[in-house]
Amino acid sequence: MTANETIHPTAPAPEIDASCRLPLLALLVGASVWLVVGSVLALIASIKFHDPEFLAACPLLTYGRVVAAANDALVYGFCLPAGLSVILWIFSRLSQTVYPLPLVPVIAAHLWHLGVFVGLASILLGNSTGFTWLEFPRGGSILLFVAFVLIAIPTAAAFGYRREKTLYPSHWFLLAALLWFPWSYASANIFLVAMPVRGVAQGVIDLWFGNNLLYVWFSLTGLGIAFYFLPKLTGRPLKTYYYALYVFWTLALFGTWCGIPHGSPFPAWITSLSAIASVLLIVPVIGVMVITAQTLCGSPKSAESKSAPLGGPVCFIKLGLAAFVISSLMYIAPACPQISRVLEFTWFGQAQVQLQIWGFLASILFGALYYLLPLALGFAFKFPQFVRGHFFLLGLGVLLWVVPLAIGGYEQGANGYSLDASLNCLRISTLGLGLILIGNLLFALNVLALFVTWKINLVKTIFAAVTAPLKTSEVKS
Amino acid sequence: MKSGFPATFVVVLALGGSTLGFVLAPAVQLGGIQQTTVLNTADIYPPQRTGDATLGLQVYRANGCAACHTEQVRQDGVACEVVLTAPGANPAAVTNLLATLTLTNLTKEAADLVAGQITGLGGKVETHIVPNGADLDHGWGVRHSVAEDYLYDYPVQLGGLRAGPDLASIGVRSPDAGLQLKHLYAPKSVNSNSRMPSFKYLFTVQKIGDAPSPDALNLSGTDAAPAGFEVVPKPEARQLAAYLLSLRANLPVYDAPFTPPAKP
Amino acid sequence: MSDDIKSSLPQPPSDPQPAADHSTLPIWIIVLLLVLLFLGGLYFDNHSGWFQPQVYAPFASADQLEMYQPKSGAAAALARGKVVYEQVCGLCHGIDGLGKPGQAPPLAGSEWVTAKGFNRLAHIPLMGVNGSIKVEGKDWNMAMAAMGAALPDADLAAVLSYIRSSWGNQASPVTEDDVHKLRAGMGAHAAPMSGDQMMAMPE
Repeated sequence: MTANETIHPTAPAPEIDASCRLPLLALLVGASVWLVVGSVLALIASIKFHDPEFLAACPLLTYGRVVAAANDALVYGFCLPAGLSVILWIFSRLSQTVYPLPLVPVIAAHLWHLGVFVGLASILLGNSTGFTWLEFPRGGSILLFVAFVLIAIPTAAAFGYRREKTLYPSHWFLLAALLWFPWSYASANIFLVAMPVRGVAQGVIDLWFGNNLLYVWFSLTGLGIAFYFLPKLTGRPLKTYYYALYVFWTLALFGTWCGIPHGSPFPAWITSLSAIASVLLIVPVIGVMVITAQTLCGSPKSAESKSAPLGGPVCFIKLGLAAFVISSLMYIAPACPQISRVLEFTWFGQAQVQLQIWGFLASILFGALYYLLPLALGFAFKFPQFVRGHFFLLGLGVLLWVVPLAIGGYEQGANGYSLDASLNCLRISTLGLGLILIGNLLFALNVLALFVTWKINLVKTIFAAVTAPLKTSEVKS
Repeated sequence: MKSGFPATFVVVLALGGSTLGFVLAPAVQLGGIQQTTVLNTADIYPPQRTGDATLGLQVYRANGCAACHTEQVRQDGVACEVVLTAPGANPAAVTNLLATLTLTNLTKEAADLVAGQITGLGGKVETHIVPNGADLDHGWGVRHSVAEDYLYDYPVQLGGLRAGPDLASIGVRSPDAGLQLKHLYAPKSVNSNSRMPSFKYLFTVQKIGDAPSPDALNLSGTDAAPAGFEVVPKPEARQLAAYLLSLRANLPVYDAPFTPPAKP
Repeated sequence: MSDDIKSSLPQPPSDPQPAADHSTLPIWIIVLLLVLLFLGGLYFDNHSGWFQPQVYAPFASADQLEMYQPKSGAAAALARGKVVYEQVCGLCHGIDGLGKPGQAPPLAGSEWVTAKGFNRLAHIPLMGVNGSIKVEGKDWNMAMAAMGAALPDADLAAVLSYIRSSWGNQASPVTEDDVHKLRAGMGAHAAPMSGDQMMAMPE
């Protein structure tokens, strides 16, 4: 046995899952709450698109504040902690060891949710920093950074304690994700908030961070999780290991430079480099398409995957991968100046961001969580039929939320930025967001019910242990 | 692969590269720019903002105005225009020549050729530089935005969505503070087609004192205050209006040249 | 993940470890990347202004930005002079004003160009040169046609001003009126002159 194995012996899956229980709960209960809060705020913002006087008298809910709060609640409140929770579970499972120091992520999760609360309150009260995706002022952002690092370190340790030394492709993606967020978040906050640069360089750094969070970090996390679950849930091997590595290399090297649109008030070298990187992004996107197609086609390895119910976790993963391809193509298209001339500054860009958040990352996270939560907590979902309902609501909701926004954006751009042509599209998109919200409520209900069940069971177990009659051998005469 | 080192290496290479390229390099190159001069004059650009306008930028940030408005003008191209300033000794020949030439939307080389032909017949010409682009045709600016336009801003509010018009030159298009305040209070009273929400919370409805306040908004119809009351802007509204009036990116600079219209 | 490890661990049958196929990467996706990188390089060359901070889209280079600067008054005349020089004189005297041995003497640093008065200088393009002329200590003995005779007054003045203030030369500009008066006064002396003949004229 290696030195590693004596200190960190391999454990059976139920034991691994049990070790992840507390971190998962701490991260996910809060994440579910922020998911619902964020969806409600997003719905309010969406109604204000086409009904500007809706709640206009309340300064806390003015459109500029509520849309920033909604986006941040969804990304920082839900996507990041939920992503971290799945990453820590996957690393433990792939390493076949229990998660080390599970209390550290529990403390970190509380810090994280406190940071999100402070940040959202600041935005609604008018204290946002003014930078897109970095609106949380200093207090909130420091809490987020510290919490993330506190979760990343034991998770990386779980990776280090693995028995099987050969890496699985998800290791690459998810390890990179653990490094990517702290580096980019810290750099952006240092140069924009702590020691601000002067002038329009702030715009460059803000766009750089937005891209590195919403495109690169989301892609690394989402693809890493998808490449873990897709073969696992379908029983087919991931095709292929080297393709996945190629996707990782090209996504990391080129994806990090995207995000600066044509026509921005920056010197031409910045916009040119970004446009070139956007076009190069075609390579990893094609790679993901090939991997997904090849992995899903061909004879199934296990009989169980054939009988997988529609609307189960694997459907969420497939939806996520399809959305990734479409969202990436929407992201790449404005690298062409003629397209950018029409689509820049329209709802089309917002549609791409929303597809990336809901269609891609949230969908993959839901799929992963619906699979691992019952295993980790040792209880089945209280409302298993909600899982299927959530899938259809999410799928239809994303369709109705994103497609009208994209069409509305095109109409807006083609008509000199007048909104009249896109009003009906905006109304339909609000309906789509409503469906997404209902689906999220179903998810939150399931998670909270599971949490309550676990809590009750814990209390019962403790109570039973405390009130059990003493064994005669323990009574001292 | 058997170790996590290659993945870490890729991250360091990729993020290190883009941090150098899109964080540190712009911080040095753009963060170090100084004021420039307006082309062919000695005037400094950009002019320093007033105190109210500087505070107004913070009101703009606090209310998330950048969620619907951009402050950046794009330009698609630049062309030359040859303009006759004096017919010279041979006006008839010059007129005949002009009828055969295209004088607008020329490249610089073509403009030089045309200028040479006209001066050959004794006429005097000027070559004007004319930027072109969809944003410019829309009336949102006369040239593309440059780094100097944002020199004093913290935070720079470039915006990413045009649910409303671009504001880079709003101070030129709409220089009346009273109109800006009225628009903030009741956008539809100024532009009936507006989809902007009203910002009534930036104003106070107060009882008219001995005399109406000079700052009172001139409202009519359903927007007007009830009888005996007037609508007065709060300091935030005043600052925001001052900030909007300070947004005047309409002067030529070296990075964005154009021939300004002749002063009357 | 190899199969034997998969089977040795206690896992429920419906909770397998994911496996990855190890077939080789097809070459076409690597070729695609290289092609796109090459095209990207071309695009960067044409559109980036090569890291100059003053070059913004739609300008493609610092030279183009300089070319499109609006010029007025004396600057406009100099710009015009440069254009005319490069079209008419540059072929023989060089764009850099250094001349070409066996073809044309240099203008950079030439005492004929930088002389205080422009009378002798103006006669060169207006009437041409025939015979020996001493420039910067060297003898040049080749004929020059009256290249400026066909130029309008403004253009000739611009060219003369341009060569008198370029490449290190620092002499006063020549106005259109000056050229007009010179032309009016030339009259019968329409034949090309030699250096000595020109030295006989006032400066």
